[in-house]
Amino acid sequence: MYEQGKKVPHQLSIGSRLIGAGLHRVLFSVGIVVVCCHCSYSKWLKISNITVRQEPTELGGPKTIIEYDIEDPNISPATPAYVFVRYSKDETNWQLIETDCLRGNGFDIVDKPGHKKIIWWGTDQTSFTDLIQIDVRVRGIQMVRIPAGRFIMKSLPGGGYDESKKINPSSNLPLFYMAKYETTIAVYIDYLNEIGGEGAGWNQRMTDSNRCGIVRHINYTYSAEPGRENYPITYVSWYDATNFLQWCGLRLPTEAEWEKALRGGLYLDGDETKKLPNPMPERRYPWGNQAPNADGVFRCNYDGTDDGFDYTAPVGSFANFSSPYGICDLAGNVAEWTLDWYSTSYHAGLDGFRMVRGGSWMAVPAACDAITGATQLPLKESSIMGFRGAKGPREITLTY
Amino acid sequence: MKGSIASAAALAAFPQGKVHGANEKVIMGVMGLGGRGTYLAEKFAQRPDVEIAYLCDPNTRRFARAREAVEEAQGKRTKLVQDFRKILDDRNVDVLVNATPDHWHGLGTIMACQAGKDVYVEKPLSHNIWEGRKMVEAARKYKRVVQVGMQSRSAAYSKKAKQYIESGKLGDIYIVRVFNMMSHPMQKDTPNQPVPEGFDYEMWCGPAPKLPYNPSRRWLNQWEYSCGPIPGDAIHQLDLARYLLDDIPYPKTVFHAGGVNALRDGRETPDTQLATFEYGRLTLLLEAALWTPYMKKTPVDVRDSDRFPNWPFSSTKIEILGTKGFMHFSRHGGGWQAFDAQGELTHSEYGRQGDKEHQDNFIDCIRTRKKPISDVEIGHQSVLLCHMANISYRVGNQKLEFDPKTESFTNCEQANKYLKRTYRKPWVVPDNV
Repeated sequence: MYEQGKKVPHQLSIGSRLIGAGLHRVLFSVGIVVVCCHCSYSKWLKISNITVRQEPTELGGPKTIIEYDIEDPNISPATPAYVFVRYSKDETNWQLIETDCLRGNGFDIVDKPGHKKIIWWGTDQTSFTDLIQIDVRVRGIQMVRIPAGRFIMKSLPGGGYDESKKINPSSNLPLFYMAKYETTIAVYIDYLNEIGGEGAGWNQRMTDSNRCGIVRHINYTYSAEPGRENYPITYVSWYDATNFLQWCGLRLPTEAEWEKALRGGLYLDGDETKKLPNPMPERRYPWGNQAPNADGVFRCNYDGTDDGFDYTAPVGSFANFSSPYGICDLAGNVAEWTLDWYSTSYHAGLDGFRMVRGGSWMAVPAACDAITGATQLPLKESSIMGFRGAKGPREITLTY
Repeated sequence: MKGSIASAAALAAFPQGKVHGANEKVIMGVMGLGGRGTYLAEKFAQRPDVEIAYLCDPNTRRFARAREAVEEAQGKRTKLVQDFRKILDDRNVDVLVNATPDHWHGLGTIMACQAGKDVYVEKPLSHNIWEGRKMVEAARKYKRVVQVGMQSRSAAYSKKAKQYIESGKLGDIYIVRVFNMMSHPMQKDTPNQPVPEGFDYEMWCGPAPKLPYNPSRRWLNQWEYSCGPIPGDAIHQLDLARYLLDDIPYPKTVFHAGGVNALRDGRETPDTQLATFEYGRLTLLLEAALWTPYMKKTPVDVRDSDRFPNWPFSSTKIEILGTKGFMHFSRHGGGWQAFDAQGELTHSEYGRQGDKEHQDNFIDCIRTRKKPISDVEIGHQSVLLCHMANISYRVGNQKLEFDPKTESFTNCEQANKYLKRTYRKPWVVPDNV
C-alpha cells in the first residue's frame, strides 16, 4: 500500500501537464493515482486507464473530466460497483468529491463494465489554476442491489431486537445497495494511509496476527501482515466504521436492511416486477434453513475449527452459501455494526448502545442466523466485530 | 429444568470456601450475560487478581460477546455453560457473579452460598422481601461475602456528601426526595413464539412460572420476573439516600400513589410511582415515572468530569432538605452541591463513579472475610423500600404499617400475601437455607 511521500509501484501514477484549449496557458498538472488490485475482492475493484483533463466552458471556468475503465465482468445491474472519487491538492489532505458535483456514468452506482466518464464541474472545487498539482483517486466497491419491496422481519429481543420499533411480519424497504463483502483489512489500510496521522481509526489491538493483522510503521503508515489482506477488518469501533464509510460516501446498513439482505424480499426482483418469488422468505440463514454445520457441510465461519478457521476467515470463503442476493458472510465470520441504536431509557444519557447483527467466528452455529444481534457500546473494539457499507436513501423509513 | 437442584444442595453440607492468599487469583464464574453481566465479566477479567473461569447464560447466543471481551481481557480461555450449577460444582471457583434478571437473584445467590462461593449479585437484591431475608441468612450461615451491585456507595464523592451531612451543615434532615424519571417505550403485543434454538428457556424461567415464550413481553414489566423497571433503577438512588443518612433502618409506613397510567400496554408493573416512607420525623419521598422524556440521566460528558448535571432535569438526583441547607446529589459520578439558608452555594463536589472501588472492596473482603460496603443486609434493607412501595400499590395504594421484627405488615393481611412468591419446583428457596 502507500508509503509516506511516494506511491507504491503497482498503483498507476500519471502526471500530465495540460493546456486548456483556448486558454493558451498552463492550467495545472494532474497526478492520478489509480487504486487497483490483483486479487478478486480483497481490495477495491480494478479501475484502470484513468485520465484527467480539463476543458473550458463557455460561460464559466473549466470543467474537469475524469475517464477510466472498469472491466470487472461481475459488474451488472444486480451487482454494480459503487465508485467514489477523492482528491487532494497537497497529497496530504484528501476530500471526497460529493456526487452533487459530478455528472456522467462513472460514479456512485455503476452497473455496467466498460469505459466511464465523470465530469466534475460547477463548483469552486474545479478552480485549480493556482495549484501546481492535484491528485485524484478513484475507487470502486463491489455492491449488491436489494430491490424495493416487502420482506419478513423477524428479529427478536433475545437476539438484540430494539423494543422501540414496531414488529410486523411484512415490512417494506426502498431500493438500497449493500457491499457484497465485509470490509477487508486491505481496504481499511488504504483508508488509514490516506487519512494519515498517528492513528484515527487505528488501535494497538489491530496488530493481533490471528484476529486482525495490521502493521503500523514508524512513520505512521500501515500495511497488512502477509496474507491478511483479504480478512475482514476487526477491532473497529462504531465510530471507526462510520468514519470509514463517510470517507467512501457510504453508510452502515440499518438492522432492517441487514435482515432483508440476508433473508431476501418476498420477491427477489422486488415488488415492482414480482417475477421472482423468494422460495424461503422466512429463511433462518442466508442459504436457507439448514444449520450451518448440517450434514457435515460447513456453511459459514462459526465457533471452533471444524469450518476450517480458528479465527476470522478471508471474506467470501463461504461464497456458495451467500444470501439470495449473493451477499457473502452475513452469517458468521464477524458480527456487523449497524446504523441502529438500541434505545431504552435505561441507557439514556450514555452514548447509546448500537446494534450489532449476525454471528461471528466465536458464536454458536445457531447465532449465525437472521435474527441474532447484540448491543454494544459504540467505542467497543472487538475481534468478533466488523462492518460493511450500504448505499440507499439518507432517511430510511421502515413501513408496514 | 432437567433433574433437580440436588447437585448444589449436596455441597451445602460441606461448603468449600477457601482462604485466599494475597497473591492468589480469585476464580469467578459469571451467571447472566446480558449487558450488565458482560460488563462485569470484562471488568473483573481486566483485574490481575481475578480470573473468569466460567461464563454462563441459558441463551447460547449471548456467549460470543462476553467470551470475546473476557478472553481479550485476561488472555485466557473461559468455559461456557448454560447451567450455573456447573460453576457451583467446581471447587476451584471462589465467586459467583450473579447478573441475572431479578427472579434469579435470590436462589442463585443462596445456592452459591450453600456451595461455598462468595457472591457479587446485581441489584435489586431480591425478588421479594422474604427471599431477601433468606439471602441474608444464607450468607451468614455459610460465612460468605455477598456484595450487592450498588456501586454508587463506593464512590468517593458519596462518602464526602455523607460526611458533609454528618457535619450538621444542612441542619436536621426531615425530607429526602429521590427521583427516578425515565422514558420507556410501549411494549408490543405480538404472538407467542417458539423458543429459539440454543436457548434453555426452562432454566431462564427458573423459580418463576414458565409462561409461553414471547420476546416482546419485557420481563422487567412482569411481577413474576421483576420488581419493575422503576425499582430496578431507583434502587441505586434509594440505597444512596439510605447511605447518606447513615443507613437508616426500616420505615414505619409506606404509602404509594400511581400505577400504570401512560404506558397502558398490558404491563403489570407501574409506570408511575410516588411513594412516601415515614421514618418517624424523617420522610423519604420517591418520585418516579417512565414517561418523562425531558428528564435525563447524567450525560456521559458530565459523568466523571468537573461538571454538574442540569439539576432541574436530572432524572436520577437526590434532594436532601435540612433546616439549615439543601443538597443536590447526582448518581453516576455527577457530583453534589450544597446551599445554605439563603440559597447561596456553600460547597460543590465533582463526582467520579465508584465501579472500580466497589470491585476492589469485594476482592479485599474475599481475602479479609470482612463485610463488604454493600453487604447483603444493606442490599436487603434498601430493596425493601422497593418491595414495600410495590406492595402498597398492589393492595390498592393503601398506607401500610411495617413491623421490622417480622418484616411484615401489621394492618393489611392482603399485603402480607406479597411478601413471598410461589416458587416453581425444583427451584424453591427453602425456609431453612
